[in-house]
Amino acid sequence: MGELFKWDYTDYPGYKKYPHLFKPIQIGKLTIPNRIKYAATEDNLNDKDGFITDADVSYMRERAKGVVGGIACMQGVYMDKKRHGQGYVGQAACWDDKYIPGLKRIADAIKEEGAISASQLMHCGRVGAVEVEYCQGPSPVPQRLRIFRPVEVMSKDDIKRCIDEHIEAADRLCQAGFEIIEISGIVGYLISNFISSYTNRRTDEYGGDIRGRMKMVMETIQGVKKVIGDRPLGIRLCSDELLDDVRGNTPEESMITYQMAEEAGADYMSVTAGWQEAIYPVISRDIPQGSWLFLAKRAKEHIKIPVQMAYRLFDPAIPNKAIGDGILDIWEMCRPMIADPHLPKKVLEGREDEIRPCVACNVCLARLFRDAPMTCYINPVCAHDHDPKFHITPAETMKKVMIVGAGAAGLECAWVAAERGHEVHVYDKLREVGGTLLEARKAPYGDEELYYQINFAKVKSDKAGVQFHLETEVTTDLVDEEMPDTVVLAVGPKYIKGIAPGFDRANVVGVLDVLAGKAAVGDNVVVWGNKKPGVGVALFLAKQKKKVTIVGKNKDFAIDINPSFRWRYNAYLRQNGVTVYNDCDIAEITDNGVTVMTYDGYMIPVKADTVVCTERAPNQDLKNAIKELGVEIFEIGDMVIPRNLSSAVHDGYKVGLRI
Amino acid sequence: MPVDAEKEISRLWRGLHGAQDSTIKTFYQWRKAAIGLVPDANPSEIALKGWEAMAQDMGKLFLPRLSFSKGEEAFLKQVAGLYVNTWQGYGAVVKVEPGTSPMEVFIKWERCPWPAFAKDFNAPLKEDVAGCDLVLQITIDMVNAFMNTNFKIETQKAIPRGEGICLRRLYKP
Ligand SMILES: Cc1cc2nc3c(=O)[nH]c(=O)nc-3n(C[C@H](O)[C@H](O)[C@H](O)COP(=O)(O)O)c2cc1C
Ligand code: SF4
Repeated sequence: MGELFKWDYTDYPGYKKYPHLFKPIQIGKLTIPNRIKYAATEDNLNDKDGFITDADVSYMRERAKGVVGGIACMQGVYMDKKRHGQGYVGQAACWDDKYIPGLKRIADAIKEEGAISASQLMHCGRVGAVEVEYCQGPSPVPQRLRIFRPVEVMSKDDIKRCIDEHIEAADRLCQAGFEIIEISGIVGYLISNFISSYTNRRTDEYGGDIRGRMKMVMETIQGVKKVIGDRPLGIRLCSDELLDDVRGNTPEESMITYQMAEEAGADYMSVTAGWQEAIYPVISRDIPQGSWLFLAKRAKEHIKIPVQMAYRLFDPAIPNKAIGDGILDIWEMCRPMIADPHLPKKVLEGREDEIRPCVACNVCLARLFRDAPMTCYINPVCAHDHDPKFHITPAETMKKVMIVGAGAAGLECAWVAAERGHEVHVYDKLREVGGTLLEARKAPYGDEELYYQINFAKVKSDKAGVQFHLETEVTTDLVDEEMPDTVVLAVGPKYIKGIAPGFDRANVVGVLDVLAGKAAVGDNVVVWGNKKPGVGVALFLAKQKKKVTIVGKNKDFAIDINPSFRWRYNAYLRQNGVTVYNDCDIAEITDNGVTVMTYDGYMIPVKADTVVCTERAPNQDLKNAIKELGVEIFEIGDMVIPRNLSSAVHDGYKVGLRI
Repeated sequence: MPVDAEKEISRLWRGLHGAQDSTIKTFYQWRKAAIGLVPDANPSEIALKGWEAMAQDMGKLFLPRLSFSKGEEAFLKQVAGLYVNTWQGYGAVVKVEPGTSPMEVFIKWERCPWPAFAKDFNAPLKEDVAGCDLVLQITIDMVNAFMNTNFKIETQKAIPRGEGICLRRLYKP
């Protein structure tokens, strides 16, 4: 194994804690020093014609640093000049030699960081053709969603050309210097369209039973193998399409595809689950971590080549155990390393508590689907890795900084400012840090994971020397006494009541008191406010078997949750019997209930013994009180305009850089 | 502020009927305008183009609501239910009745506002039947293409033909 063992992990705390993650493995003729892979991630950062940009190179370089000798896989490239395979406006292209120099920059960056460079071939099939009018597929099966293009059936010549394009692109990726080539058959892209009984209805040799439906894939694997020499060839295939409602493949058929791919020469299998068109959630926060590992186990039972898998494996203890148990060989990660590019490095160095946690909100994905460059909800630097304005650099003048509020915004600002060399003091009237999230994390369907951001920022703050003054109310006198150079107000929003008759009644309570268990709540509840705080508390109460009705002024519910996650909440509200009146307000609250008024003046009587207020407003009281002192003031988070965790973190980070 | 439930419901009911009427009226107003623009064209051909566009959209609305998880028989009923919901939205009185075998159902329109509007706008009633048939055909073709089924739908009775009800047989041959 020789030179590999510049990667000797044995002295690191992470090796001792997670020995299985830092053991070498053989893939084909290549030895990988550890079991870690950054999985392919489309980022929409490339040029509209598919040329690699500085932003993408820096993005990949950071992730390559993170895998400490493991595999870093670049995003899937499209391979046809006609752009049928292109699924994202900023997707990298590889249909001509002119792309090789750009791709080489990525391969070089990965290798310079000591990682193994992998690249991916990705024809997006029936969810592709973002820049052209028709997408391509084996059969003319319409998609469920309107946003996709009509499907044009591929002739045998088209199939042949498409296979050749895979082969030629693989050759170019080798010329660019990549050490691993991967074919993506994930989430409903072309490879999976050929394999699935849902989308392949062909009667020629490229259709029929599962063996016929695999023919295109087999020819692709065999063809690519011929041009890539000794390099390993991997493939990502669905272990469960989750398409039983549209008559997709059975799990048994999926396992046949795994065996056939192995027979054709694939050197590893990356196990995937679900299609974009599936009606089941797969990777959002409501799915507990590790839920899909049974699919890796099933794969291990059917094939001999190494099995890799991502899908909500955020906590290193889970893949470490899975590898130890023999049900997984390589731990893949996508979103955890979007949120923290150095995640595995921190694990190795025993700095797990410094990992910025992905909150599985899928904003990164949602942005891609809307032709926007990727960003991360929780990591302000993501996709700005190349931009020095986003880097933490020492402050020119050291300042004494007073941050009022130890919620997400205040803590984020605190650690960034402290790392830049400022003397930072954080004040909060509560005994614990966390602000709103102390209670908001109690909402069901995974919201406890939101609080991990607080843990992260608190650890970073402590390590950067931030001084905490908890159970301390900040007043004008205190500011005057402490004489800070800068005050950062992160006091959170004001929780407000409506103006309709009855809002002053005793049965009207606040959302935080309800979540904290401090308010008495009856069996029939109206929640006032249809944004995330309202939806969260409604589900929290519905889980206690209460009849809950949401009344909110916004035209749609949960407009502060991105569409790639909001559909889950829609389903949970339905499942839990929560009635939602959007575009409505409370006209009156009485002892027995609430009169709801629709935007166009209709009245609906709703039985209720409790009303929970979740509406918020900007909170300027302290600012107004201290502005006469002449001290520099910054405002961040919900006190400016109530928004969400992401805005709090991004505000905090940016102001931390500006002070 | 006590709510007068009767008043609220009657206002809503009137509002709903107003909206249903104007949906259908809009179609016939569009038909009249289009015929005026192309006087040499066959009016029914123009109208059928309109029905076709409606059908494409209706089919797209159906697809995300379809599921085969409970098997073919349940799926057939689900498709019938989607037709019922759509026409109820127009203000029709329509329901699904069982057929003679599990893979057959009847969709029965006891009342439908479309023919009355056709008369109001001087559109031939046979065009109304042809329009409905086209919509049903296009949508069932979309459902079949999506789910790899081979369902058929056929019209057995039609209100515009003076047969009192519209009766469509939805079945697997
Ligand atoms: C923003 C984003 C972009 C992705 N791009 C690709 C891609 O280009 N090719 C691919 O095979 N999978 C892609 N995936 C899927 C991931 O590689 C991964 O399998 C999936 O996100 C589940 O893993 P996770 O829970 O670690 O995020 C993408 C996922 C995300 C969130
Ligand atoms: S946007 Fe959300 S899901 Fe995506 S990486 Fe960031 S925190 Fe995770």
